Amino acid sequence: MPAENGKILAVSSVSKRFGGLLALDSVSFEVQRGEIFSVIGPNGAGKTTLFSCLVGTYPPTSGSVRFRGEELKGLRNDQVVARGLVRTHQIVKPFRDMTVADNIRVGVLYGRLRLRGAKARERVDEMLSRTQLGHRAQVKAGVLSIGELKRLEIARALATGPDVLCLDEVMGGLNPAEIQQAMVLVRALRDSGLTILMIEHHVHAVAGLSDRLVVLNFGKKIAEGRPGEALRDPAVVAAYLGDETKEEARA
Amino acid sequence: MTALLRRHPALVPGVLFAAFLLLAPVFAQRGMLNDLWNMAFFVVLASAWNLLGGFAGQVSLGYSAFVGIGAYTTVLLANAGWSPWLTLPVGAALAVAFSVAVGLPTFRLRGPYFTIATIGVGEAVRVIASGLEFTGGSSGLRMPQGTFDFNANYYAMVGLALLTLALVAWLQKHAFGLALEAIRQDIDAAEALGVHSTQAKLTAHAISAALVAIGGGLFATNFQYISPGSVFDFRLSLTIVLMPIVGGMATITGPVLGALLFSYLQIKLLASPTLRDSYLFIYGGLLIVVMLFEPKGIVGLWERLIGLRPRRRAQPPVGEARRAS
Repeated sequence: MPAENGKILAVSSVSKRFGGLLALDSVSFEVQRGEIFSVIGPNGAGKTTLFSCLVGTYPPTSGSVRFRGEELKGLRNDQVVARGLVRTHQIVKPFRDMTVADNIRVGVLYGRLRLRGAKARERVDEMLSRTQLGHRAQVKAGVLSIGELKRLEIARALATGPDVLCLDEVMGGLNPAEIQQAMVLVRALRDSGLTILMIEHHVHAVAGLSDRLVVLNFGKKIAEGRPGEALRDPAVVAAYLGDETKEEARA
Repeated sequence: MTALLRRHPALVPGVLFAAFLLLAPVFAQRGMLNDLWNMAFFVVLASAWNLLGGFAGQVSLGYSAFVGIGAYTTVLLANAGWSPWLTLPVGAALAVAFSVAVGLPTFRLRGPYFTIATIGVGEAVRVIASGLEFTGGSSGLRMPQGTFDFNANYYAMVGLALLTLALVAWLQKHAFGLALEAIRQDIDAAEALGVHSTQAKLTAHAISAALVAIGGGLFATNFQYISPGSVFDFRLSLTIVLMPIVGGMATITGPVLGALLFSYLQIKLLASPTLRDSYLFIYGGLLIVVMLFEPKGIVGLWERLIGLRPRRRAQPPVGEARRAS
């Protein structure tokens, strides 16, 4: 079982086609329990599409996603959450007319834990304090700053009681101090026993946090490994900065 | 009780009004009681619809189908010798079954597409009822002799209205209400947090369908005669939607205020020889005014007047508009 080899999530040959566009092209990787695993790549590489295929927002066109040995392909998003895999959204999706506490309560009541009564209230409070949103508990989510909204995304997802937390660019749009704060939070989440799968653009955060990572470009995996090696891979450098030899050839 | 009233000041006029409705048969004239009956009927329709249309944000324009299912069940079974009271749960059960049958395919649709589909469903039911032999076709059906008892029907309708309000208020306070609220505000986020949206929508649809069908059954007993034009009418569906919108969607008091307004308007307009044919214009005008000036309806207007809510909420900060990668 998972405890022996430590593998918690296995993505095998996942492809996603939107009409004529192949958004994901046979992507495979494995995530170990307790790891911070990053998915990086230029805009449009298919990172968010990958997350959507994992949690069941829409099904992959082909391939398989096994979570703790169980096939997730074909399950609805809420069923995946009930098994302990949850995502946040890059473009934040707060319930704007609900209070911050009620936003979190949705995850507590309907996630994997499905707590009720006093236990539910305790968990809401715990999530508020872990994400430093306690002082905002009773305001409408619509008035939060972008940094607070990103933390609310984490708080709600965390409230469901996951084993694996998929963070979709939770540092996008934050200022350097907030990024530092977010990095501390992500590390604390991992230290509390969670496995983190994250999409991130901020290179300093990726290099500082990730145990391992994969790099996607145009829907294909072009590199995988420890951040120090993978980020120096010529294919990765070319994907981000453009291929010099090709530029010269064109010129 | 006093603690409850202190926490919910809106309950004070509510309780007084409920007491007035329940005591009215003691002192009121029959004409006034008829108007109050109609008002209670509208409260049932508007509040039940609000569960799905207001709280969950799934605007259905096909609710006359449930009125009709309840009404036809009552008339058909009463003519087969049933007591009209015993027909009510049967009508409710049929309406629940129909709500699920309609909900399963249509809840896959989002936003206006769902609304458009419900118009089709409502119209289809009317056409079918007009064409079938056993429903009496377009000329409709009459209740058997001796089934009319206005006072009993009046108390039943007022009781149903109070039950509907209590049920919706109770659901709103509990987990289910939060799930519906989440679905309305962002269905993707709700699902991403574990809410089974289709199940929640089907449940809300079924509960409101059952309440509306019981109301339809009481309608049939009270009027003693029904036809596709009276209970499967698209204008009835439209009125059911307009009441919560004008009163204030996703609130408890909104649909009640809408029902008060529309039952009054209907009485006045239908009694006026010059306006009786143009009442839809007036409804349309009301809808435009509400949408333009106070989308939260009468309740929203009231909250603004007493300063609970500033005219414009602070704009939410703009999220990254970056393309999803």
